[in-house]
Amino acid sequence: MNILQADLYLPRAAEIKQIIEENSQIKTFALSFCESAFDKSFSYEPGQFMMVSVPHCGEAPISFSSSPLHSGLLELSVRKAGKLTTALHSLKEGDVVGLRGPYGRPFDVDHLAGKNLLFVAGGIGLAPLRSVVNSCIESEEAAASITILYGSRVPSDIAFGEDIKKWQALSTVNCHLTVDQGEPGWQGHIGLVTSLLDQYKNDPAETVAFVCGPPMMISAVISDLSQRGFADENIITTMERHMKCGVGVCRHCHMSGKLVCKDGPVFNLAELKELGEF
Amino acid sequence: MSDTYILKKDHLTPFLRKLKKQNRLIAPVKNSHGDTIFSELSSVDNVQIDLDNQPQNSLKQYFLPQQEVLFSYKAPSATGYEFKPIKASCPSTLYFGVRPCDLAAILYMDVIFLKESKDPTYQQRRRNSVLIGLNCNTPFTNCFCNATRSGPFIDFGYDLQFTDLGDRFLVQVDRAAGQKIVDTLPQFFSPASEDDVKKQYQLFLEARGGFTTQVHVDLATKKLSEGAVSSEVWLELSSRCQDCGGCAYICPTCTCFTIYDQPISDNEGERIRSWDACTFSGFTLMAGGHNPIDRTCQAIEQRFRHKLQYDAQQHGRPSCVGCGRCVGICFGGTDIVRFVNMVSCEEMI
Repeated sequence: MNILQADLYLPRAAEIKQIIEENSQIKTFALSFCESAFDKSFSYEPGQFMMVSVPHCGEAPISFSSSPLHSGLLELSVRKAGKLTTALHSLKEGDVVGLRGPYGRPFDVDHLAGKNLLFVAGGIGLAPLRSVVNSCIESEEAAASITILYGSRVPSDIAFGEDIKKWQALSTVNCHLTVDQGEPGWQGHIGLVTSLLDQYKNDPAETVAFVCGPPMMISAVISDLSQRGFADENIITTMERHMKCGVGVCRHCHMSGKLVCKDGPVFNLAELKELGEF
Repeated sequence: MSDTYILKKDHLTPFLRKLKKQNRLIAPVKNSHGDTIFSELSSVDNVQIDLDNQPQNSLKQYFLPQQEVLFSYKAPSATGYEFKPIKASCPSTLYFGVRPCDLAAILYMDVIFLKESKDPTYQQRRRNSVLIGLNCNTPFTNCFCNATRSGPFIDFGYDLQFTDLGDRFLVQVDRAAGQKIVDTLPQFFSPASEDDVKKQYQLFLEARGGFTTQVHVDLATKKLSEGAVSSEVWLELSSRCQDCGGCAYICPTCTCFTIYDQPISDNEGERIRSWDACTFSGFTLMAGGHNPIDRTCQAIEQRFRHKLQYDAQQHGRPSCVGCGRCVGICFGGTDIVRFVNMVSCEEMI
């Protein structure tokens, strides 16, 4: 009789230390592993994801929304979308989930120093980009400029309010918001997130653009950026797919011969075009 | 040349009886319904080991069970959630009568489950396996392993490989576990003569000429890679696929799986891995309802592209092993041979 050390699929218990309600649909869970030695040695990079277990609900892939440079808890921001995420939303601080990872190819954040960075996000799509933005802000090797364009459906959907306040207070960051539909009291911009791109004045040739949001929004933004002269290699996005294993075997996340969990989830436009995805 | 021996057919049952003392034994057995199935033998006597017909199943289920428990969990309260590795036994298992296509399929699974992330249960089953193959002197009706370069004879990957020479088997050794069998049971083996080896080569030539249909697998791979398969082909195949998953389940190299929780009570449960099929409509369906795959025109595209294009690009050969099992099982008639033929016909027009 052998004990199978099936740690490839075995999650580790992690405690929810804090829950931030970003809007009615999105919560950010700040977590630490129950095993403190493991928690201390754990590291990840922006763009990677964890497989999150909730009792009786299986697993779902969730991107890091925190910066790995931030010496605190790891954060996962989750939109209530299906059975597992609904159960996750019902949990409280002190409750325990299972985590395994980190998985996936991260954003290449080592080569961003001195560059202009443009982040274009829609809805929950800001979560993985928040990880990059905050790590760029915290990094010792500063970017030349950071611009964030964030679109939400309505003003009450605007998530990550605390971060937005922080970004807007920083002289090194330009952060612009837009909504598809206004609500009473909203005095900001109304229109799709692409309508904010005119405000971006830096040279596209000197800019790296990060795009994340609903599939339709990603397509629209990428087309727009291409027309404005951004090189394919400098348009970077992160893909979302149904996943089961997270380690490149089960093939649920197949995309034109690649596996999003292993070959992605981060891809640049040149790679997506080679795959025929754009 | 590798070491080559002769084992007399009369000695096969005593030979297997000896091996069964040390191993669990799996072999093609004809059951009371007349079906030939790879099955576990409780004894080598009083069963009909059938080496004349193609087993209906491959060995996939023995290395990647249709369902298996990955671990168990307890969640007595929201603040307590524990994961417990399973205790499982995996006895040394000898597989006898493994056809070249099924051996090629296991070698493919080795790449999938052992190359990058080592799959613990697969690794243990594989480590505890001994493979004794049997070359195919006469290809079966639906076979096309010549087109996938995985038969009718195979010369690597086995522990021992048998070729039926009439009243005796020519036995070749490739891996250490095979040599160990020869060394520990020398009474069953005598050196093969030059004539025996020549006869085996003659049988190989005859077998190679014995395929009833020509399936242009390489042409399909080429056309898929060049983007030269028309959308009409995918549309027609999609309209005929009945979403049953039979092709994936019977296929020795379809290794896609799903993972889910099976609650045992309110407080505990098991995480299960089970076979899945990329042709199922829910395979790529995301929480919230978005599905990047449109079943009306892409229902079966991933299946054929994965086997014939992506795996050929990645591993240097397609992952279809030409066993022909899916040909008999698809009631929509959208098996891989049909696809390859559709693509070949397009070429001819």
